[in-house]
Amino acid sequence: MSQLQGNIDDFGMDTISLAGPIEAKLRAVREAGFSQVMLSARDLVGHPAGWRAAVDAVRASGLRVTGFQVLRDFEGLSGNLHDYKIDIAKSMLEMCAALDCRVLLVCSSTSRHATTDLDAIARDLRKLAMLAVPLNIKVAFEGLSWGRTINEFTTAWDVVCRADVPNLGLGLDSFHCVATQTPLDELDMLDPRKIFLVQLADFMWTEVRSEEERITTARHFRVFPGEGAHSDAIAELVTRLDDLGYRGDYSFEVFNDDYQQIPLETVCARAHKGAVWLGEQVLRRSVPLPNRMKLRGRDLLRG
Amino acid sequence: MTPPLADREALDDAANPLGLDGIEFIEFATTRPQALGQVFEMMGFRPIARHRSREVLLYRQGDMNIVINAHVSHQPRAVQPTETPTIAAIALRVRDAAAAYRRALDRGAWAVPTQVEVMELNIPAIHGVGTSRVYFVDRHREFSIYDVDFTRIPTIDPHPPALAGLHWFGVVQYIGTDRMDDWCEFYRELFGFVELPDEQRFGILPKGRVLRSPGGEAGRFYLQLIEPEPGIVDVEGEESLQRVGFGVPDVLAAVAALRERGMGFVESDGVHTETRGALTRNFLGSVMFELVHDERA
Repeated sequence: MSQLQGNIDDFGMDTISLAGPIEAKLRAVREAGFSQVMLSARDLVGHPAGWRAAVDAVRASGLRVTGFQVLRDFEGLSGNLHDYKIDIAKSMLEMCAALDCRVLLVCSSTSRHATTDLDAIARDLRKLAMLAVPLNIKVAFEGLSWGRTINEFTTAWDVVCRADVPNLGLGLDSFHCVATQTPLDELDMLDPRKIFLVQLADFMWTEVRSEEERITTARHFRVFPGEGAHSDAIAELVTRLDDLGYRGDYSFEVFNDDYQQIPLETVCARAHKGAVWLGEQVLRRSVPLPNRMKLRGRDLLRG
Repeated sequence: MTPPLADREALDDAANPLGLDGIEFIEFATTRPQALGQVFEMMGFRPIARHRSREVLLYRQGDMNIVINAHVSHQPRAVQPTETPTIAAIALRVRDAAAAYRRALDRGAWAVPTQVEVMELNIPAIHGVGTSRVYFVDRHREFSIYDVDFTRIPTIDPHPPALAGLHWFGVVQYIGTDRMDDWCEFYRELFGFVELPDEQRFGILPKGRVLRSPGGEAGRFYLQLIEPEPGIVDVEGEESLQRVGFGVPDVLAAVAALRERGMGFVESDGVHTETRGALTRNFLGSVMFELVHDERA
C-alpha cells in the first residue's frame, strides 16, 4: 500500500512524538504523506544553528505549520508575574509569526499563584489576543485536565466567551476530554468557528484514577488514534465536531516515551495509519481529484 | 438642565478613553523624499522644516502635517524606506500621551522602543498594522512638537493655508482575508473606534468596513478596512496602510484647483470624479490620495 493513499489532509503530526533534530522530524513527517505539522518552541530554540535556522528548515520542508506550542501558566497572574508572562508570550508570538503559523496554543494555568476569578482570566486572555492581532495569529485556549481553575473544555469555553474577542478561541485535546469524562453532549454548545485547533491522542488503559496518573499518562503513555483503548470515544468526538461544522485541523498530540526511541519512519507510519482510519472510516472523506485546490477553512470540496 | 441621555450620545470617558482628538501627523517612509515631496506639493502641502539629526522633512497645509522619512532605522519591525513610499506611522492627538500609551500597553499593544537623540522628543509609540506605528502626541495646542526636533526652513510661511479646504478625512488599511473582525476589535479595544453601519459610506470607494474615531466633530477621522476580493484563494496578504483620504467641502472645486497644480485624477468607468469624491493618479508606484466630500474645512 502506498503511504500517500487516502485523504489525510486534515490530520497532522506533532514533533513531540518524534526524537532527533527538527530536520529529520520534518522529513519523516513529510515522507509519511502528511502536509502539516505541529511545532513546539523547543524545536526552534534548541536548533544548534539558532531558531532562525529552524524557521528556515520548516519553510524549506513545505509543511504547513498547524500550530505553535505552548504558552503555559499565562493567565490570572498579577504584578511582576503578569509582566513576566507577557514578555514570554511576546517571544512565543514572534516565533509563531516567523513560521507563518496562524495558531498559538495556550494551556490553562496550573499555578497556585494565579487567581481563580474567571473574569480576570478572561481579561488576560483578551490582552494576549490583542497582542496576537497585528501578527495575524489566533490564540487557541485549551483546558488542561490538571489545570487549577480551568480543567475542562466547558470552563475554557466559558472564559473564551467572557473574553469575547475574535481571535481567541478554543483548543480541544481529546486526551483531556476522555480523561475528565466530560460529557460529549457539551460539544453542542460550542461555536465551531471558535474552535481553533483539535488535538487527538489515545492511551492504553481504560481509565485514569488520580490526577497524578493522568499527568503521567498524558506526558509519557499516549498513543495515536486507533491504537488505544478509547477508539470509540475518539471517533465519536471527531464525528460530533464534524457534524457541528468544525472544518479545521486535527493534530496528533502524542507524547510517548517508546516512540522517542524507535525510528522516526516507524512512528510516522503508525500516525499515518491513525490518520487513514479517521479520514476514511470515521469521517469518510473522499480522496480529492488530482489538481483540485483546497480552500482552507471551507468545506466546498469535501466529499 | 437635564442630564445627557446615554441612549442618544455617548458622552462619557469610556467612549473616548484616550481623549483622542484627531491626527497630528502622518509619516511616509521612502528613499526618494524629494520625489515624494513634489507629490505632496502638488497636493497643496509646503515644506516647512527639516529634522535636526535625520533625513526627515516636514510638510504642512492648514492643520495637516506630513512627515517624510528617509532615515534608515535599525529597530526591529520598523518600516525601512524603499523607493516605493509607504505610510509608516499615524500620530494621534490625545489628552495625555503617557497615559494613552500605558493604557494601550495594558490592553495588549506592542511598545515600540524609542531611540531618541540628545534634545529630541521621546514620542511614545505602539506597533500598528504591518510595520507601521501609532504615535501618541499631547499638548499639541500649547506648543508644537516640531519646534523641538525640526529646524524651520527660512523664509517659508510655517502655516500655509489649506488648499480648497483640504483636511484629514481618514486612512485606508488593507487587511488579509478573514481579518475584518480582528482589526475592528483591535481599533475598538485600544483606541475606542466605532464601526459604522454598512449603509453609511463616504466618497466614491465604499468597499470594506469603516470605523469612526472617538472624540469631537472637529478632529474626527475614519479608518476604512478593506479585505482582498472574495474568491482569491489563500491570500495571506500583506497588511498595510494603503492611502490617505482628504476631506473637502467641494470636491469638484478641489479637483479643479489640484489639476491646475499638475495633479491627475483617475477617470475610468468604475472610478471617476464626482461630487461625492475623487481619486488621484498613482505616483511613485504606491501613492494615491482620495478626496471625500466633507463639509468641515
